[in-house]
Amino acid sequence: MKPFDIVIVGGGGAGLYAAMEAMKTNPSLNIAVLSKVYPNRSHTSAAQGGANAALANKAKDDTVEMHIFDTIKGSDYLADQDAVDILCSEAPKIIRELDNIGTPWSRLDDNTIAQRPFGGAGRPRCCYCADKTGHTILQTLYEQCLKKGVFFFNEYFSLSLSVNNSRMRGLLAMNMKTGKIEAFPAKTVIFATGGYAKMYWNRSSNAAGNTGDGQAIAYRAGIPLKDMEFVQFHPTGLRKSGLLVTEGARGEGGYLVNKDGERFMARYAPEKMELGPRDLVSRSIETEILQDRGFDSPAGKYIHLDLTHLGAELIKSRLPQIREMSMNFEGVDPIEEPIPVRPTAHYSMGGIDTDNYGRTVMDGVYAAGECACVSVHGANRLGGNSLLDILVFGRIAGHTAAEEAGKFEPGVISPEEIKAKDEELRSFMQSSGHYERYGALREELGQTLALNVGIYREASKISRGMDELSLLKERFKKIRVFDSSDIFNTNLMQVLELQNMLDLAETVAAGALAREESRGSHTRNDFPTRDDEKWHKHTIATLDNGTVKLGQKPVTMGRYELQERTY
Amino acid sequence: MHMTGAAEQHKEEKRDITFRVFRFNPQVDIKPYFDDYTIPVERGITVLRALNYIKEHVDPTVSFRAFCQAGICGSCGMRVNGISKLACTTQVWEELDRCKEPGILKVEPLRNMPPIKDLIVDMDPLVDKMKHYMNWIDSSMPESEMGKKEFLVSEDEFLKYDKATDCILCASCVSECTILRAHKEYVSPAVLLKSYRMNVDSRDTIHDTRLAELVKDHGVWDCTHCYRCQETCVKSIPIMDAIHGIRENALEVRGTKDTSGAKHAEAFMDDIAKKGKLVEATLPFRTNGVLWTVKNLLPMAVKMIMKRRTPPPPPMVKPSKGIKAFREEFREMTEHVKDDQQSHNK
Ligand SMILES: Cc1cc2nc3c(=O)[nH]c(=O)nc-3n(C[C@H](O)[C@H](O)[C@H](O)COP(=O)(O)OP(=O)(O)OC[C@H]3O[C@@H](n4cnc5c(N)ncnc54)[C@H](O)[C@@H]3O)c2cc1C
Ligand code: SF4
Ligand code: SF4
Ligand code: FES
Repeated sequence: MKPFDIVIVGGGGAGLYAAMEAMKTNPSLNIAVLSKVYPNRSHTSAAQGGANAALANKAKDDTVEMHIFDTIKGSDYLADQDAVDILCSEAPKIIRELDNIGTPWSRLDDNTIAQRPFGGAGRPRCCYCADKTGHTILQTLYEQCLKKGVFFFNEYFSLSLSVNNSRMRGLLAMNMKTGKIEAFPAKTVIFATGGYAKMYWNRSSNAAGNTGDGQAIAYRAGIPLKDMEFVQFHPTGLRKSGLLVTEGARGEGGYLVNKDGERFMARYAPEKMELGPRDLVSRSIETEILQDRGFDSPAGKYIHLDLTHLGAELIKSRLPQIREMSMNFEGVDPIEEPIPVRPTAHYSMGGIDTDNYGRTVMDGVYAAGECACVSVHGANRLGGNSLLDILVFGRIAGHTAAEEAGKFEPGVISPEEIKAKDEELRSFMQSSGHYERYGALREELGQTLALNVGIYREASKISRGMDELSLLKERFKKIRVFDSSDIFNTNLMQVLELQNMLDLAETVAAGALAREESRGSHTRNDFPTRDDEKWHKHTIATLDNGTVKLGQKPVTMGRYELQERTY
Repeated sequence: MHMTGAAEQHKEEKRDITFRVFRFNPQVDIKPYFDDYTIPVERGITVLRALNYIKEHVDPTVSFRAFCQAGICGSCGMRVNGISKLACTTQVWEELDRCKEPGILKVEPLRNMPPIKDLIVDMDPLVDKMKHYMNWIDSSMPESEMGKKEFLVSEDEFLKYDKATDCILCASCVSECTILRAHKEYVSPAVLLKSYRMNVDSRDTIHDTRLAELVKDHGVWDCTHCYRCQETCVKSIPIMDAIHGIRENALEVRGTKDTSGAKHAEAFMDDIAKKGKLVEATLPFRTNGVLWTVKNLLPMAVKMIMKRRTPPPPPMVKPSKGIKAFREEFREMTEHVKDDQQSHNK
């Protein structure tokens, strides 16, 4: 294959914005987007709420400065303040650009882009398109990329970077339709593969494929990951699937109730009750469950989100989607019965360590979106800031790669390297001594993480979790792919995704064990307070001789001094 | 009511259900076949979860697509008991009433798209059509000016395309489209919907080019107006409004001056009228029957003719029974149109 100037791995919001911007920056470049699903299927489509930008359409006194402050405070001061500056300053431009190319934003009475309030924000600055914001943004970007003639390699599963003496030469990927390993020699590669919260499996709101593939590929190629221990939990996931019941249900007056029929939020947030901040409500639910005041079922412990007192009328008119979801995924009609819920892993703050331009430590390798960690979210991201992150930094990474591609030689990938990869994959299919089933391992991985590296963490539990992870990795060596066909081998793909999750889970657990403080989403029972002296630092995880090596990196300040985070 | 006690609350109804799954791996199979998997299913489980269970516990080679598992991404379109829908939002228990053989759920791939393996079909032809019909906004804002200011868009305009932007490209409607079964080149309902959405957007500048493409062969005039797509749509989008919208627009823009669209429709109708076969092959099997069709659709069709001096698409009809009556009605109707057009041309 002819070498590409830029190969973008991932067709979500970050990847598509990068592609569009790179084409704009230099239309003569040869750009490819690889995606394991059709780009419009990417998980960006799941974002309902919206994207933050201080347009000041709704609140005339909103400013970029306020957005910056809210973001830094929300991050529990772990975000890099210069990166946050870029995020918030670019926001209005990005939202307008999306408008200019066709995103169907909802509108205010004066026909400007509509904005609504969102958690942790001092002004209503979340721009939305009904409850399908991510979906419509993704569609718009896909449409524009088709218009610009971006080369799409859909249903290509990326496997590894080809690296020689620390020089990146390109990428290896499997064409799902044929099962063939194909080489993509490239001058630059941008990872935009989304988050890794699916490692918590059915305790996660994420799509099945949010398995952190890009992070794992980069990590194995020696590129450092940052702040992996920070995983955000959303309070109300459905019991069986982990799928999200949005805040709207509590906003409209839903109750959280334990098995004793008690509205337990009275204990934790007597004033705000069910409407307390996300992390607090998640911790409260988890405490109820841990102290045995939850319900029990074969699908795990849970509590009730009770809407029955709101009446059929209100539920049907204002919460139709929540009703549909709980009927579809729990078989429960919230008009008649309470919805079984528990906290669900929702967003990964950590990711591939990049600078403010999307560059990683390896020449020619960039990252953007949820798979990267710039960091703008620090220890906790605000609702509506993630879509913004993927758009702003997707664009910047696309621009930077387009400008810098000329600096690098096109790589060459040898047939031997392709053959070796092919043999590696085929070894999963051999029968002698291989018997472990992917489903069981994956289930156990999710359980171990939720139990030991979940909302509440402490040294003894995390250590137990790490031991269990090592065992799971041992067992993975005996895993068997039962489907031996070349065409669309989803069985093989799932096994490779599991491998990625196992590698990354170690970095999450190691980071969680090392960080002896509580900050943002990371709560240690044995270290319940924030310790700025020792831990106002980013965690850096690198692969060293097969194990995680941890390091640190300072947080860039410059705008706001450390303060206690209270709401 | 929360005191009912834990035990009672979690009693799950459970039963054994058989999934009859379409299997085809072109690498080894000469032709497709079905595999039966009988598994325990509790109330509240979706078809997708049942398939996942089969893949994890019974047969890891069963292949299908799924991603969000929440009805948002459009990956898991397939036919369940003969109807195209999303596996991830379809309750197994609700399907039980629709089984032809009691307790056996039939699961097959979408139609009208090239098969790849088992329940997986090729989406590329659909993407190619999106490209062909320019399913994007070609903005009136020059690239150098972008990001500087927003367009003002009225609520009225927003509402015109709001529903259309719900489309998740799951291709369920494509799978059920009656014309596509006969003509693979046909634009297809999802692409018509998207084209319409672009055409009513004031930010776009290539409305005319897109429309010109839509009125050509395999375009909007080929639609038989059978409503299958709209009835199937997993997001309940009124696709027919979009199709009507494009047609009305085409007639407004070129109608009386340039009747190529109308002529095309006429030729198509002729074809159907003469070769009743085409009707039988392309019109859907409808439970409504010919009486309903005549009563409900022909008057509207004739009204359309009078208004626009163009033949409407043939209405739906149950192919086996009543085809003669339909042809009779149809002939009469076309006469009307011809008279009408002649008088107009004078
Ligand atoms: C339920 C839910 C609701 C949310 N709501 C909001 C909200 O309201 N506001 C907000 O700001 N954020 C929200 N978020 C977060 C936000 O949606 C995500 O962080 C964001 O969309 C991630 O975008 P991305 O482009 O980085 O990755 P994704 O959209 O996840 O895209 C990843 C891409 O990488 C590809 N890929 C992955 N692995 C491989 C591989 N091995 N080979 C090839 N391709 C690969 C995939 O195919 C996909 O195209 C929500 C998240 C969830 C789960
Ligand atoms: S109305 Fe019938 S023929 Fe027309 S697009 Fe819909 S399904 Fe196809
Ligand atoms: S129009 Fe409806 S059925 Fe057709 S692809 Fe879109 S969402 Fe699916
Ligand atoms: S898996 Fe996404 S729509 Fe069904």
